[in-house]
Amino acid sequence: MTNATLIFLLWAVNLVTDTCGQLAFKKAAIENTKARGWAHWRHMLGRPWIYLGALAYVAEFIAWLAFLSTVPLAVGVLLGMAGIVAVMLGGRLWFGERFTRGRLAGVSLILAGVALVGAGG
Amino acid sequence: MSPRAFFLSGFLALLLFDTFAQVCFKLTAIHAAPLTFDWPWLLRALTTPWVYCSIFGYLGAFVTWMTLLRHIPVGPAFAASHLEVIGVMVVSVPLFGEVLSGVQYLGAALILGGVFFLARDETSEAAKEKP
Repeated sequence: MTNATLIFLLWAVNLVTDTCGQLAFKKAAIENTKARGWAHWRHMLGRPWIYLGALAYVAEFIAWLAFLSTVPLAVGVLLGMAGIVAVMLGGRLWFGERFTRGRLAGVSLILAGVALVGAGG
Repeated sequence: MSPRAFFLSGFLALLLFDTFAQVCFKLTAIHAAPLTFDWPWLLRALTTPWVYCSIFGYLGAFVTWMTLLRHIPVGPAFAASHLEVIGVMVVSVPLFGEVLSGVQYLGAALILGGVFFLARDETSEAAKEKP
């Protein structure tokens, strides 16, 4: 495997684990929102989502460690900003969150920026 | 403290905590090298103090973020939670001798522009939802 392939793979794993974690926590938070305080927590602890989120974050910790071992810190953090876009896409697919014009503009700029940082090394 | 001073110091604290966490994470990765994807590698990472400094930074950022969210609209807060990009770009030059190419700086500017658009959009959406 070439170094570029490894970097791309690690970046992709980071993106997937970050997005899965965020979406799982969102799902945990919005289920049965009538319950308040302790009751809400008890409900969340009885469902799989909060554990899936935690598991995804542990996986992301390892993936981020590996990713930062292969790229400069500034490049890594900049490429990681693609996570914003992935989470918004996931929010649209899973929770029906809207894509307004402003959000589309923001998402396009971030994607273009990430592509430039990735290609311009 | 005036609201403006609270706002600014909150943003600054978030920026510092996030930058600190990322720098410590990079130091953890350097300390754990070579990247062998095995237990000894993970163990090397978990036995350096840097990884715990990094977790401290993340916790500090989390507390700051939740405090900010109680007082300011989600849009600016969202933008603020991604400003560590600037902090990281600045400190990684002297700390790690990292130099970005011109194209990469252009990419960084586009990303920050995108974050600004998203932050502005969240603010106007939140304003619409208020009765």
